[in-house]
Amino acid sequence: MSALSSHLLEEIKALPAKYPQPRSAVMPALDLAQEELGHLTPEAMSEVAVALQLDPGYVEGVATFYTLFHLEPVGKHRFYVCTNLSCMLRGAEDVVDRLKAAIGVREPGEVSKDGLFSYEEVECLGACEYAPVVRLDHRYEVDLTRGKIDSLVNDRRLVRSHVKTGVRSSLDTTPEPPRKKPVRRTKKSG
Amino acid sequence: MAEQRGTVGGPVLTEWFGRANLHKLEVYEKLGGYEGLRKVVTGMSAAQVIDEVKASGLRGRGGADFPTATKWSFVPKDHPGPKYIVVNADESEPGSAKDRYLMENSPHALIEGAAIATFAIGGHQAWIYIRGEYDLPYEKLRDAIAEAHAKGHLGDHPFGTDYPLDIRLYRGHGAYICGEETALLESLEGKRAQPRSRPPFPAIKGAWGQPTAVNNVETLSTVPWIIRHGGAEYAKRGTEKAKGTRMVTVSGDVQKPGNYEIEIGVTYRHIIEELAGGPFPGRKVKVFWPGGSSAKVLPGSMLDTSTDLDGLKALGTMGGSGGIIVMDDSHCVVKGAARLLRFYAHESCGKCTPCRVGSNWAVRTYERILANEGSQIELALLDRVQQGLQGGRCLCGLGDAAGWVIQSTMNHFRNEYEEHCLHHTCSVEGALIHA
Amino acid sequence: MPDVKMVNVTIDGHVVTVPDGTLVVEAAKLVGIEIPVFCYHHKLDPVGACRMCLVEISPGPPVAQAGCIRPVADGMVVKTQSAMAVQARADILEFELVNHPLDCPVCDKGGECPLQDFTFRHGYPTSRIDGPRLHFQKPIPLSPNIALDRERCVLCYRCTRYYDEVAWEQELTVAERGVHSVIASQFDQPLTSNFSGNIIDLCPVGALTSRLWRFESRPWDLHHTPSVCSKCAVGCNVTLWQRRGQLVRVTSRENDDIDEGWICDRGRFDYTDVNDPARLRVPAVHGSKTTWAVALNTVADGIKGKGSKLGISLPQDLTNEEAFLFRRLLDGPLRGAKVKMHGRTALPAPSGEQLMIKDIDDARVIIIVASDTENDVPIVNLRVKKAVSKRGAKLIVIHPDAVDLDRHRETVHIRNQPGEAAAEVRKLADHELLHEPGGPVAILYGDGRGSEDAAGLVAACTELAAKVGAKLMPLYRGTNERGSLELGVAGWDSLDGVEALLSWGPPPTAGVPASVKFHAVWDHLPRPEHQNASVVLPATSFAERQGSYTNLEGRVQFLRPAVDAEAPLKESWDVLCELAAALGLPLDYVGIFPIQREAAKAFPALAALAQPPSPEPEPVPVLMGPARP
Ligand SMILES: Cc1cc2nc3c(=O)[nH]c(=O)nc-3n(C[C@H](O)[C@H](O)[C@H](O)COP(=O)(O)O)c2cc1C
Ligand code: SF4
Ligand code: SF4
Ligand code: FES
Ligand code: FES
Repeated sequence: MSALSSHLLEEIKALPAKYPQPRSAVMPALDLAQEELGHLTPEAMSEVAVALQLDPGYVEGVATFYTLFHLEPVGKHRFYVCTNLSCMLRGAEDVVDRLKAAIGVREPGEVSKDGLFSYEEVECLGACEYAPVVRLDHRYEVDLTRGKIDSLVNDRRLVRSHVKTGVRSSLDTTPEPPRKKPVRRTKKSG
Repeated sequence: MAEQRGTVGGPVLTEWFGRANLHKLEVYEKLGGYEGLRKVVTGMSAAQVIDEVKASGLRGRGGADFPTATKWSFVPKDHPGPKYIVVNADESEPGSAKDRYLMENSPHALIEGAAIATFAIGGHQAWIYIRGEYDLPYEKLRDAIAEAHAKGHLGDHPFGTDYPLDIRLYRGHGAYICGEETALLESLEGKRAQPRSRPPFPAIKGAWGQPTAVNNVETLSTVPWIIRHGGAEYAKRGTEKAKGTRMVTVSGDVQKPGNYEIEIGVTYRHIIEELAGGPFPGRKVKVFWPGGSSAKVLPGSMLDTSTDLDGLKALGTMGGSGGIIVMDDSHCVVKGAARLLRFYAHESCGKCTPCRVGSNWAVRTYERILANEGSQIELALLDRVQQGLQGGRCLCGLGDAAGWVIQSTMNHFRNEYEEHCLHHTCSVEGALIHA
Repeated sequence: MPDVKMVNVTIDGHVVTVPDGTLVVEAAKLVGIEIPVFCYHHKLDPVGACRMCLVEISPGPPVAQAGCIRPVADGMVVKTQSAMAVQARADILEFELVNHPLDCPVCDKGGECPLQDFTFRHGYPTSRIDGPRLHFQKPIPLSPNIALDRERCVLCYRCTRYYDEVAWEQELTVAERGVHSVIASQFDQPLTSNFSGNIIDLCPVGALTSRLWRFESRPWDLHHTPSVCSKCAVGCNVTLWQRRGQLVRVTSRENDDIDEGWICDRGRFDYTDVNDPARLRVPAVHGSKTTWAVALNTVADGIKGKGSKLGISLPQDLTNEEAFLFRRLLDGPLRGAKVKMHGRTALPAPSGEQLMIKDIDDARVIIIVASDTENDVPIVNLRVKKAVSKRGAKLIVIHPDAVDLDRHRETVHIRNQPGEAAAEVRKLADHELLHEPGGPVAILYGDGRGSEDAAGLVAACTELAAKVGAKLMPLYRGTNERGSLELGVAGWDSLDGVEALLSWGPPPTAGVPASVKFHAVWDHLPRPEHQNASVVLPATSFAERQGSYTNLEGRVQFLRPAVDAEAPLKESWDVLCELAAALGLPLDYVGIFPIQREAAKAFPALAALAQPPSPEPEPVPVLMGPARP
């Protein structure tokens, strides 16, 4: 039984052709694997390696370098809270404290009991003019206050079926673009 | 829904900002967009494009401040294989958000600029390496590229010519060091992003072993304007040696943080007090980072410093990535520096010894200081570490930058450091807490 | 030979003229100046990671620069002793020690550790490091042979770069980033490469050590002897390290013509049998210990005059000198005996000019037929990898199964039906890669471990070589197969039906034939097959031997005894002479040199034996380093 679904592995095998050299496909492939499983297990990384004709050790080396690859289980909704200087000056520490209380965890990386949430303290998100900032469900939430944290958490508790991508950024002032391929839900094969 | 914070209707980069749906090809083109690319592919030679940009005096806005035309001219003309433009959209320097602002509002300007640059070096493909956290800019670029292809501005026959031009997107996965151009290339090749030793330089052996020019988003977004209006027109702005306009991000303790387009040469006082609304009532600017976290700090007393890049260099600091971080007198410099060191240590790629070990050593020293365990020893240690991080010790600029944070904050605010280390108090934040 | 531009550089006042492109660290060596390095290694691509080699270079920016990545330029002035350079290096060494465990007293590298030496020569005289150090779990077994100590690691990446660049494998990589970066085997699985051991030699600190030799002794307590590896026909040069009559380690000894400083894991780790307490040391007849004279007379009686009813099994690693004596026996009292050499290929003796190993470097196209080079000729395999990945050669492999050279994406692998390799070779003449190869073509062929018809394959390869102007290299497997072929003792006879058997070394691969009535064994370890042997003679191991081997390219190299053959153990040439005497053939040599001189005269291929080089290892040049700050 493999960790990754067979259609995903097919998709991964087709990736190298998109790049001048096949190794460039490693990160896009890990991305797909992570999207399917939530986090990267050794099995998943090894399967990616085999699909791309690389040694598992190589893939492990790459996956452990980049912070957006998760090697441990994470919550369904992940808060990447910026705590770098500009956000810190505007109360990021407060935001973190409130968030921990709101989702009921003690430290970064810990998954809330309901499996819905985890958070990470991250470096500058490149939106310092909106400090403090958090990246949540592939969107930036800005000008954070305690109240805003509470409502971000509560919204997601209430609507458990909330679709990951449908959320519009509060930065986004433009009309809705045509919806792309729906993002794959976590699904294990076999 | 948050409003866009920054200049709209500015002189060059933000000329058309504020128009509804500028990110749409239709709108961008109606305003005059893609005229530059049309002009280039239908009527100019690569050398002419480079000359035009040379005349503008444009220098790279990614931090290194290198003349853009010169960089392009380093790419060998007679190379038999592919050549690439790689767009550095990894913007991760604390305090810098201007590339995001540009990509979100006007993705076509970047695409047009990248296409022109690709033509200028005699290549056919450009890769935009965008940091993984930038979801919205990624989507904007992706859709814009699709539009440009559909319209025939990119592809095998842009504007009916036989000069294929293609632009691809590659997403990063969380590593500041990917902003360093050779680490970016490693990452683009699917490797751990560790800077390469030079020689060979990217112009000779860059992406996938081919000649490559790496350019910043802002740099390339400026290029269509230069082609439309001519290099001489651009060169009218700015100072004697540092031409044109540039974006700055103002963040931290100011009333109107945002991304502002400024003419190079205005003072920081103008930017911080007029554009960004100045500090909050009753507060004073204590210290500011003039060009991203990696630029040596200047104290509030030096607000009248000009943004002239060479002038900044003479002061030992730099215009860098244009991220201006302002800290007022309610915040502790030691704590701020400690936070930045945590950043550099976290983002150190680990390749070279001084940065890998030194940044972490500094973090542990700061931790002791902030836990009121500091002493003369910690003060001496920080001095030691900052020296060990600079002066060519490190392979890339990240290590130097970490050293500069320590050095420049200690230089201007030794009193705060001494207070922490020797008296175990903080008269700044401590006072506030007790107030 | 393309003209290389020569440039003049001044290093600490010494002017040196070197080819353009030479790295500053290499140029400094030429004038006897040590620029300390950790990450730089002359066989790996420079990376400039450790920053140990900082020097001042002008013209250039007023900062220290890494000498290991800077090529020299005409008129360059390098200062290794300026205040800036001295301080920069001292800073780096201080950083190296910030988290170092300083467990030198129990570290096997102690005594030959660049970190120790450089700290002494280039570091700050006193330590200003206080505060807790970072800790890792240690040591971690990377394989049954290698231990990793992450606290000692200076992250020079030599080990991982070697794995990637030289061995083409990534089972050893770097995980995590920044100060948390660690060397790791993939998902903590044991290393499986046949080339893993080289990382021990490469590691500049005690982070990678041999698990076979731990906590035993200091390097300065060991005697070392330059010798040649006895495990296969490549003939890598090695150093054998001895202490108190025990062989305690084997390391590589760089010879650019052959091994470039690499040896395989068989050569490095396969030596513990030398120190086996069960080693045979006393001759025995029918299980009872006896004297050499009695034992050899019994052997002589058992094998004399048997003609083709006598079978002889020879080890793969017999020396040229031993083979020469054997040849005299076969020409005399043992005429007609059936001979089977252990572990050899079915390939015939070479004819005509052959390809040398170092010539593989310059090949533009390399064709490998019927050989699993990784296991058959390991270090030739690395040479091929170098030619392909560092020098751009194209590679064609003809082999039925997957081979490790397939790791290169551009390898053209033609999978033949076993036995059909010759046919595939014939088809190659029209291969597109051979139309305009742009330089030398190399054809390396094995025997498919017996699956191919050797004569047919050689003919096909020779034909192809003539067509495309290639040079040939037969890939022998047996250590001294080529020397034995030239001396005519590398038999390939079936031993079935023989009545007397003299089995030297490991027992015949096909087992002891049931027809054997008299069985004489000459071996260094007891084995089950010795059960019914009439006579058991103790043999020396490779570590106690002297003599020479001819490697697969025809190069004659000398092996030297690292461990004394203590009585009653006797050297093999001596035993053979006494056996000859017992058989009625007086072979009266007073030592190995007369044998070598005679063999040199009799066989042109062994001419090199006339002048064995001095057994003393060459002194290592001492480079003078700058004073510490
Ligand atoms: C540690 C480090 C981080 C960097 N980060 C960025 C970055 O995020 N974006 C960027 O454009 N340039 C960054 N640079 C500068 C690039 O290396 C390079 O100089 C730049 O992309 C060149 O583009 P330009 O000539 O258009 O400025 C960074 C440099 C260093 C040393
Ligand atoms: S300075 Fe830091 S980030 Fe740059 S190469 Fe060295 S370790 Fe990596
Ligand atoms: S284990 Fe040794 S060779 Fe490998 S990186 Fe560490 S110090 Fe270098
Ligand atoms: S510091 Fe938080 S987004 Fe830049
Ligand atoms: S030896 Fe030069 S950087 Fe390591």
